[in-house]
Amino acid sequence: MSTNAPGLSDQALERLRDAAELPEPDPARYAVRERIGRGGMGTVYRARDLRLQRDVALKVLHVGEDSGELAARLTREAGILAHLEHPGIVPVHDVGILADGRPYYTMKLVQGQPLADLAPGRSRADLLRLFARICEPVAFAHSRGVVHRDLKPHNVMLGEFGEVLVLDWGVSKRAGQNDSPAASNAVATPDTGAGRVLGTQGYMAPEQARGESAYVDARADVYSLGKLLAHLVSVSDAPRMPRALAAIVRKATAPQPEGRYMDASHLARDVQRFLAADPVEAHRENAWEQTLRLYRRHRPLVLLIAAYLVMRLVLILWRARTE
Amino acid sequence: MKKPLYGTILGGVLGVFDGLSALASAPETAPQIASIVIGSTFKGLLAGLLIGFFARKVKSLPLGIVFGLIVGFALAALVVYMNVASGQPGYYWQILLPGSLVGLIVGYATQRHREQPA
Amino acid sequence: MEALKAEDTAERDRAFNALVEAYWRPVYKYLRMRWRLLPHDAEDATQGFFSRAFEREYFAKFDARRARFRTFLRTCVDAFAANERQAAHRLKRGGGAEHISLDYAAAEAELAGAPPPDDFEKFFAREWVRAIFTDAVAALRERYSGAGQEVRFTIFSRYDLAEGDAARHVSYAALATELGLTTSQVTNYLAAARRDFRALLLDRVRALTATDAEFREEVRDLFGFDA
Repeated sequence: MSTNAPGLSDQALERLRDAAELPEPDPARYAVRERIGRGGMGTVYRARDLRLQRDVALKVLHVGEDSGELAARLTREAGILAHLEHPGIVPVHDVGILADGRPYYTMKLVQGQPLADLAPGRSRADLLRLFARICEPVAFAHSRGVVHRDLKPHNVMLGEFGEVLVLDWGVSKRAGQNDSPAASNAVATPDTGAGRVLGTQGYMAPEQARGESAYVDARADVYSLGKLLAHLVSVSDAPRMPRALAAIVRKATAPQPEGRYMDASHLARDVQRFLAADPVEAHRENAWEQTLRLYRRHRPLVLLIAAYLVMRLVLILWRARTE
Repeated sequence: MKKPLYGTILGGVLGVFDGLSALASAPETAPQIASIVIGSTFKGLLAGLLIGFFARKVKSLPLGIVFGLIVGFALAALVVYMNVASGQPGYYWQILLPGSLVGLIVGYATQRHREQPA
Repeated sequence: MEALKAEDTAERDRAFNALVEAYWRPVYKYLRMRWRLLPHDAEDATQGFFSRAFEREYFAKFDARRARFRTFLRTCVDAFAANERQAAHRLKRGGGAEHISLDYAAAEAELAGAPPPDDFEKFFAREWVRAIFTDAVAALRERYSGAGQEVRFTIFSRYDLAEGDAARHVSYAALATELGLTTSQVTNYLAAARRDFRALLLDRVRALTATDAEFREEVRDLFGFDA
């Protein structure tokens, strides 16, 4: 009986898992090369598109669905994304279902580094500017009524030439998410199981985690962006947040969507205000904070005028001595 | 606010202050304080305007500072020259030093100032 | 999973055995690590836990709407172990229940030298994944040997089961010559074996979960597990 078969080693487990998930798409169209990433929803491979003679990223979801509804939804999503043209949005080329029922889609293969691998210790101002750029494609999508629903450091790529790209638009999240009430209940399960290791959970808005898909809108992305912002600040050279910045994060990640910024562009604008040492929307400052902020903003000028006054004083003293 | 206007206001304010400070640094000039303040303010306004226009044409912090310094120094030197010509004490330090520094401050400020549609 | 609540005792027994098969190793290792039981005590406790669970129909109380089965089972183990610890001196075996023969020595060997994990939740999940995979490999071997297709399992094990780097560099051609097949036969058999293996894995997960949603969550963990 198999009950007593010797247990597999970690290494063997890894290899078996790779083998068991290796996708077999239409061999006339794609040749799968190697695995380049793995996440909670699916696994990403580098593949050769044989018809168009180019390399693409092929993402295969871990589980399929028995009904044909998923295929229809994927196609619908791809249709929406095809109209979402923005330099920061990685386009989906193709969607389909493997013979074993797993859905897949292909997208542009991005050369670069995921935000998750960003080396810590960069200046906070740099990272805040980077954050504002991450918001751009998201804000664009929001203006077109499209919500990403799975923003996290693994889905943001920093290109070799300074591009900021947001991957996995819509498809991944919706494709795996059954919108039937039963499934929503299951998602609502207060579970801290190992599946949560994957990290998405920490970035997901509470209403989305509860499976209330009817309420998920741009503000769910604002929540994820807020978490992303907190993450970026935490790995910067100045991880302690000034009150105004902490207020921005707090507002973006408010438990109720009504408490958050309307969409990504509003959040980005407030971060930009912070960068320019302007008053931010999320925080009403007191007189002292205002003085401090104005001082920071005009520091060289304030110092110059102070130097002028010191010089004046020196002249007075000098004259007093010579008389 | 446009840069020339910003420079003019800043130069004017600093000019008024510069003139008034003569009361402290050279009390014997008290009887002429009105004309000193008017002159100093006028000098500040003129310097601010010139530097503001320069900042509009040339977008460079170092050049703006150098230009401000030169304008401030030149106008202060003119005042010293007029003092000496009219037989009064020159007050070289008391005029040249603050005048140049005011020019420098205005030069810096006009370069950093962002023109926003008001 | 629903079979655990079945009226038919034979069906219930079968479901229960499948469950023991998938979970006894994780439970044993979990008791060793989390509860720091000595090997012998952990054996008794594992045995006792499943016997007690069978007797008192613990698992019939499972409500799929509240948690995953895996999480539910782990809390049962915790409750059981806490209870046993309190009654340390009157450690009971499941009265009258048949003693299930399990290879504890093998499970113990797998644990050898491993430091205690810092996250028991993850540890339990990982051991569960290991148990499912181990079981699916055995099932694949059985299926092929039953059908006289041992060569398929040989190819599969050479590519996907062998330890070390050497295995990675076996070429299809070399293996084809060795086994007296054509290269395309080797690649076809390998692909088929992987497909079958995947299907066996999913069968196991399906049998151990109650709802479609739970099934999907568990599959996601099975493959999305962060190594």
